[in-house]
Amino acid sequence: MHIVVCMKQVPRDNSVKINNDLSINAEGIEQIMNLFDEYAMEEALQWNEKLGGKVTVLSLGPDEWKEQIRRALAMGATDALLLNDPSYANLDVLGAAKVVADAIKKLGDVDLVLAGRNSTDDESGAFGPALARALGWPQLTYVGKFLEVNDGAKKMVVERHLEEQVETVETSLPAVATVVKDINEPRYPSLLRIKKVAKVEIPTWGAADVGAASSAASVAGRVPPPPRPKGEIVDGADAAEKVRKLVDKLMENQVI
Amino acid sequence: MDFTANYDMFLNEEHELLRKTVHDFAEKEVAPHIREWDRSGAQAEGPETRMHIRPLLQKMGQLGFLGICVPAKYGGAGMDYLALAVVCEELERVDSALRVVLSVHTGLNSLSLLQWGTEEQKQKYLKPQAEGTKFAGYCLTEPNSGTDAGAMLATARRDGDSYILNGEKTWISLADVADHFLVFAKTDPAQGNRGISCFIVERAFPGVSSHPIHGKLGVRAGNTGSVVLQDVRVPAANRLGEEGEGFKIAMSALDNGRYTVAAGATGLIQASLEASLRYAQERHTFGVPIADHQLVKRMLSHMVRKLDTSRLLVYRAGWMKNQGRRNTRETTLAKWHATVSSFEAADDAIQVHGAYGYSDEYPVERYLRNARGAIIYEGTRELQELLQADFALGTRENRPLRRELPAYSAEEWG
Repeated sequence: MHIVVCMKQVPRDNSVKINNDLSINAEGIEQIMNLFDEYAMEEALQWNEKLGGKVTVLSLGPDEWKEQIRRALAMGATDALLLNDPSYANLDVLGAAKVVADAIKKLGDVDLVLAGRNSTDDESGAFGPALARALGWPQLTYVGKFLEVNDGAKKMVVERHLEEQVETVETSLPAVATVVKDINEPRYPSLLRIKKVAKVEIPTWGAADVGAASSAASVAGRVPPPPRPKGEIVDGADAAEKVRKLVDKLMENQVI
Repeated sequence: MDFTANYDMFLNEEHELLRKTVHDFAEKEVAPHIREWDRSGAQAEGPETRMHIRPLLQKMGQLGFLGICVPAKYGGAGMDYLALAVVCEELERVDSALRVVLSVHTGLNSLSLLQWGTEEQKQKYLKPQAEGTKFAGYCLTEPNSGTDAGAMLATARRDGDSYILNGEKTWISLADVADHFLVFAKTDPAQGNRGISCFIVERAFPGVSSHPIHGKLGVRAGNTGSVVLQDVRVPAANRLGEEGEGFKIAMSALDNGRYTVAAGATGLIQASLEASLRYAQERHTFGVPIADHQLVKRMLSHMVRKLDTSRLLVYRAGWMKNQGRRNTRETTLAKWHATVSSFEAADDAIQVHGAYGYSDEYPVERYLRNARGAIIYEGTRELQELLQADFALGTRENRPLRRELPAYSAEEWG
């Protein structure tokens, strides 16, 4: 069983500032493993302990992200892969998903891809579904429990924890699943493994290594939405008068 | 600002990953509860019944903290002595009671077994301690002897293949929790320091009892107490080192214990500084954040000075340990400077916080209470001062020991 965990490095807390171009300014803020990805990592490790095989931690980001990749290796991931290329710098979610999909295809033997339900910085929650689409694999979002992962029969049964219901879904493998918070209790890195992985070389693929030319969109710029027009408070001596005035205005503007 | 950056002359990626792991552990498992645990120590009476102490030790054991700088073949994580400092810093950044565990279990006890123990003693006692399945304490101080260890009254009388130990040890960290103790007692009371021997005593040995000390100023979240030995029969195989070598073992143990205290105090300075930086930028007086006032800035800058100087002194001592160099002078200097500085930093942190700092709504009053003890235990401030003067005057030197603390070896320890 080969499980790939997509992991993003994010600023530790919500005190990040927003740059003038509306991008995130995380300068001076400690970088950590995205909270939801940490749950995905733990889940992968637990199933790996049961089923054997490999757990690859995969990130698309700059070299600094190796720090969290090492943390994942110290938690127990068996393999690592960093996708880093100057052309990846401004990828949007869809673009990133396409590149990661190409890399996963190139890895070849992947049975299951796990990721967090969203990152705690951009919070789009679109990466998992976009990746599944790019791979052409089933997507299972908001997974709160893996009931069965069957390597031999190439199938998996999970609970999707939705807002108003828990949905039990069976799917074939390979598949992409995103996990919610508290699905498990992520372990701390093991000190013995820390010693082993501290100096290990993290395999890195650039665009040429990933191969397939991903025609990805990139973020060209960000502008704030136009400000909302100011509201108007309808005044009057009593409720009846206020309602009458309000109705007049609404009719005047042909709302009613 | 990252106050641990730019120490790459001492630390590497391994230490950074370790620091984050210990940091996360302390923040997640301890910080949310520490006020309550600290208060529990102020209210406790009678035997130690508090429920948080043992699970916390077990967790630290499972994570490998307790055997951090013990070779893997003896159950440890096989990291170096600088890693021990990093663990102590990050633990005491949250609370001193956590670091005290490292001081007695790892610094004073386990490293003494590593340095002086026979292979059998290492397998039987060091291994489970490094693996964190057994907890360890260090019994030197008595009701009437602290710095003047030679005045101890505890005795060990040879009787066939064993010794019979009698005495009372006090101010023992983990007195009610530890499974193993290093106990110092006189095999030859006429000989003063040279009449002291060291023994590995299990709590399970008949005649060993303990009770906690209540009403401590600080380190209230942790267990401290007395250990009483009444006709305790200890196998001769449990004597650590030679007969009469106990004083040297006790002092060499302190070279490691003091190192952990110094590293912890560094973490406490950092905690005081971080709390003060946060508060000084939030709190406004006279229309500006108090961080804009020059006298507040001065307190912050002095904390920074104390933090960096303490850390550098600690890492120098750790580097020397890694090389296998004797470090008594450097370690005592680090311990003296860092502990005195930590008390001053916590005091300033309270001042920055104003009246808020005077209650346990903020952590800084706890930092102050916790910092105070380290100016007394494991060698008083005054003792460290005398040692430094004596080293400088050339009236004191480190004579080689029969067994030195082993140098770190990345290959052999891993």
